Amino acid sequence: MRVKVLFATVAQVIFFILLSQGADAVVRWLNLPIPGTILGILVLFALLELKVIRLDWIELGSKWLLAEMLLFFIPATVGIINYKSLVVHQGLSIALVILLSTLAVMLCAGLTGQWLSARQGEGGGRS
Amino acid sequence: MIASVFWLACTVAVYLLSKRLYRRFPRICLTPLIVTPAILIVAILVLDVPYDTYEGGAGFLSDLVAPATIALAVTLYKHISEMKRDAFAIVISVGLGAVAAIVTTIALSRLFGLQASIVDSLAPRSATTPIAMSISSRIGGLPTITAVATLVTGVMSMVMGPLVVKAFRIRSPLARGVLFGTSSHSSGVSKALEYGASTGSIAAVAMMVTAFVTLTFAPWIASWFQ
Repeated sequence: MRVKVLFATVAQVIFFILLSQGADAVVRWLNLPIPGTILGILVLFALLELKVIRLDWIELGSKWLLAEMLLFFIPATVGIINYKSLVVHQGLSIALVILLSTLAVMLCAGLTGQWLSARQGEGGGRS
Repeated sequence: MIASVFWLACTVAVYLLSKRLYRRFPRICLTPLIVTPAILIVAILVLDVPYDTYEGGAGFLSDLVAPATIALAVTLYKHISEMKRDAFAIVISVGLGAVAAIVTTIALSRLFGLQASIVDSLAPRSATTPIAMSISSRIGGLPTITAVATLVTGVMSMVMGPLVVKAFRIRSPLARGVLFGTSSHSSGVSKALEYGASTGSIAAVAMMVTAFVTLTFAPWIASWFQ
């Protein structure tokens, strides 16, 4: 049983790899102004909504890819060692920018969301 | 060749071990987001290995970023019903948040005198990492800096998010979901899930909407400041 799940996962991951290469090829060929991954998301989402592809055909593969997403970014993150002087000289300013901006985003999105959902609540929607 | 295989295996091993460590001791400072790159960076610096040698092996993992990004279509499909129910409130609050992310990042970076390529690297960092990286390279940023900035954003929000929720009495699942999903992509989604399944779904939808909003507006807003 576990072998079966493993094979299904591998096959589905290969499907995602092929889809991503196909999407890249189409973007290059048609000179589209969006990244191949976005085209891939839109096409796959449409195929799922139109029931051309059933969720259980690709669910195992997508679960694995999403669960291990962090692993795939490790090489890019480790690349920061090429920017030692940037980290030393501007690391603190960069961290401060990220901190303040993240706070601003949280307040902006959170308070707007709170206000809009309270208004809907008054109108008899869900709380 | 041997070095390549070694660094690939090493990256996977460190990743798996740090996930185990976190399961045992679930503290934010021990999240695999921090521990995995930190251990590898120390190893590379101590052994004095050139980054290209490391990348030659471990870089294979980067090839899975694009397929994993497309797998987000499944996330979108599974949570789209939340979106349909509250489309207006979600789109407005996420849209404002995502635009605020870009504008405040650029304005603050300018204020602190950061150079243009760094500003462009930081601007898309509220979007999910793969999309943030591809936007960054399109607008003249450095994808590596974006990857790190996105990661730092995720870690900071796991600490700050619950404090903001408490201090500003943000109670509705919708508001909490958009707060986490808009500010900090998949880290935010996992934090939002701690408040409940519905908050998590809203956060997942918010993460996707943020990706699309950032993709649409970041190049445009970045061009105002040039």
